[in-house]
Amino acid sequence: MKALLFSDRPLVTAQMSSLLCDYFEIGFMAYSKDYESLKDFGAKEIIVINGEYSPAESLAREIVSYMKEYDYIFIGATVLGREVGAMAAAISGAEMKSEIIEFGIKDGKTTTKRLYYGGKTVLEEESNAKIFTVSQGLKETKKIESSPKKNEIELKTKSSVELGEKIQKATTSTDITKADIIVSIGRGLSKKEDLSIITDFASVMHAELAGSRPICADYHWLEEERQVGLSGKKVNPKLYIAIGISGQIQHIAGMRGSKTVIAINKDKSAPIFSECDYGIVGDLYSIVPKLTKILRG
Amino acid sequence: MGYNIIVCIKQIANDIEIDPQTREPVFSDTKYRLEDLSRNAVEEAVRIKEKYGGKVTGILFGTEQSTVVMKEAMAMGADEGIIVKGFKENSPDFTAKVLAERIKRIQYDIIIIGYASADSYTAQVPGALSILLGIPLLGSAIKTEIADNKVRITRESDDFDIVESASMPLLVSVTQEANEPRLPLLIQVMAAAKKPMSIEETALKYDGIDKIIGNKAPESGRKHIIYEDEGKGIEEIVKIIKGEIS
Repeated sequence: MKALLFSDRPLVTAQMSSLLCDYFEIGFMAYSKDYESLKDFGAKEIIVINGEYSPAESLAREIVSYMKEYDYIFIGATVLGREVGAMAAAISGAEMKSEIIEFGIKDGKTTTKRLYYGGKTVLEEESNAKIFTVSQGLKETKKIESSPKKNEIELKTKSSVELGEKIQKATTSTDITKADIIVSIGRGLSKKEDLSIITDFASVMHAELAGSRPICADYHWLEEERQVGLSGKKVNPKLYIAIGISGQIQHIAGMRGSKTVIAINKDKSAPIFSECDYGIVGDLYSIVPKLTKILRG
Repeated sequence: MGYNIIVCIKQIANDIEIDPQTREPVFSDTKYRLEDLSRNAVEEAVRIKEKYGGKVTGILFGTEQSTVVMKEAMAMGADEGIIVKGFKENSPDFTAKVLAERIKRIQYDIIIIGYASADSYTAQVPGALSILLGIPLLGSAIKTEIADNKVRITRESDDFDIVESASMPLLVSVTQEANEPRLPLLIQVMAAAKKPMSIEETALKYDGIDKIIGNKAPESGRKHIIYEDEGKGIEEIVKIIKGEIS
């Protein structure tokens, strides 16, 4: 059986390939700018779209036109990918499962898992779904020797959405999904200037910095790619240190894969304490500098 | 001049308890409220009305409990409400079909919807709705402006933001960053009680055939060693951290 994989982020395409290569003969659909970086991830064919960004509907109609050749469609759950998947399902009439975190096939049916009730539960389903969006950061990428057939195309459907100015976000080259140690900060930090307390602590441990949704998406104190949670990244470090994070279920959904969790919070009843291995009830402004000092030696 | 604005609303359980024995969600006595991103959608719709004139109609595919949820939207400024009963959990494709079928019978210029919902987070309805209605989707908007019957949004995406525009009628999905939803005043809450609301059954038949194998809270398995004494806590945590980084 054949599966076609698409994401506007090549890293996610490669992650999906390592999740699915045991089940399917894989094909990629990718933008021309990403072709070189995707050559060695196990695809038999790469359908190369001329360009670097396009409206969701143009992509969805293109993908649906390949559903005769490919049995299953997997799309990276990015902002664009979620729309492309939903549209492809509505156009084709095929069933779709969103934001999956596990995939399997049993007696011709697919079994999938995904987070539900804001991440409180994991919903496991058996369905006839043909289209899936796949949660980002699920699998390590692995290089697979392959010499894919390159098939260059232009998107056939012109969308009624006009594209305007592109505003690049402040990004770094960090990928928190690969970190061994993560220091994550929440609303317990009262102002941006105090971030140095946290960065000092993170640097003595060579840890990556991450944050909750308010810190990354609302206040922009940290880059959005450092957001851990249901709508951010799902991380699985050896050590996750949650500082001033109350532990809303949407946040827990992103850090549940961590091996050891330490929490520091002044609110004894904060839900993070039911999701941690070790916790200190107290003021981060007092505790964190002391930890930094001791660890620095 | 003014716009006919439709806002699609979802209801969400106030808080779902997990049974510690079975790890399954418990639904007795569940109260429902306006879903988080639906609040941003209502806010955006009402702001458009306040700025350009027009009318906001809320539409909610829900259940018996939906009237309180619609009233919340009305207290925020929605003028009319349509509740379609027959909601099925975990079936975003069915939700999109029901909404599309009902919306087709209304005059509209612009539909506002949340990018995803805080409970199931499939983000499937906006894309499906735009295809079923045959109208453009301006998705993941953090800023929405209207000029000459054209809507222009700033779209928030993973690696960059991008300006997108399209002609009405169209669909806009908003994110949590789009606005700060207002808290209605008591007088607005009271006025909402008098606003027109229709309650109907959907004519569409649900043909979902998925088998749910399980829907349980994952086992935590954490140690839960909590120190309330700061000094002792620091001492122990340092040991743990040193063990991990060595």
